[in-house]
Amino acid sequence: MSIKQGGFKRKSKASEEIPSSSLADIAFLLLIFFMVTTVFRATSERPIAWPAAEAAQKIDEKAKDILYIWLEQDGSVWINDRQYPMSDVSGVVAPLYAASDRRLVISLRADRDVAYIYVDQLQKELQEGGAVRLVFASELERRMTRERR
Amino acid sequence: MAVLNQKRTKVSDEIPSSSMADIAFLLLIFFLVTTVFPKDKGLPIVLPEQSEEVAISQKNILHLVIQPSGVVEVKRGESQQVQTLRAADIEGLWRQEVAQNENLIAAVKTHPDAPYKFMVDVLDALQTAGAERISLQIYEG
Repeated sequence: MSIKQGGFKRKSKASEEIPSSSLADIAFLLLIFFMVTTVFRATSERPIAWPAAEAAQKIDEKAKDILYIWLEQDGSVWINDRQYPMSDVSGVVAPLYAASDRRLVISLRADRDVAYIYVDQLQKELQEGGAVRLVFASELERRMTRERR
Repeated sequence: MAVLNQKRTKVSDEIPSSSMADIAFLLLIFFLVTTVFPKDKGLPIVLPEQSEEVAISQKNILHLVIQPSGVVEVKRGESQQVQTLRAADIEGLWRQEVAQNENLIAAVKTHPDAPYKFMVDVLDALQTAGAERISLQIYEG
């Protein structure tokens, strides 16, 4: 063996590089953490057939300022996973509207075939509760599908 | 060479794992970028306040009566003349009417038994045509 470094042999065998073999583990840990903790929607959906509208706009409001009211085909009303009689809706909406600093938007998710009388009753309840900003939730309809119909 | 069976190849017999981190980060970034939180869509309308009741001259009202079959009966103001249309024709009608009278208000009167989708169709047509003054009512009589 030839003599290097003035005859002194390095004794340390520790690598000078930062160990990168665990980087993949860290990345996968992050990936799985975000996949597991992502919650898409807090309340469950009611089975309704959506109406379609061409002029449907995105609701430009924070998620916490939107209240979803489900109206099923038989006229039953569901708010936050609970069924309410129609006459109780104003009592449910009014405190939420006050708590939201008058920013509350009602997203009415009504079945496309529900009789209009229920929608009208619901509107009157909302007016009584003071929540006047209403969105008739619907799917976006493309002009193509409309022409085919 | 002395030993005959000596391996000459210097290729490692392990699967290279140095690019695994790149793959994981690629996946992470891909999902971060492509995740779209569903945004709600719909037809916005502002209901009148409960006490709010404004008298409007009949000549500024366009009555749209939605029947349970889905046909729309159009009445202009005080005239008793009834025109029967489909919801898809309302858009053109509104553009015509509002060109003649810019103060026009659409009074959408839906029959209690009419399916909600017909009202949405009419409201959609009106909003597509740019109508802002819309009143939703129930059809009585």
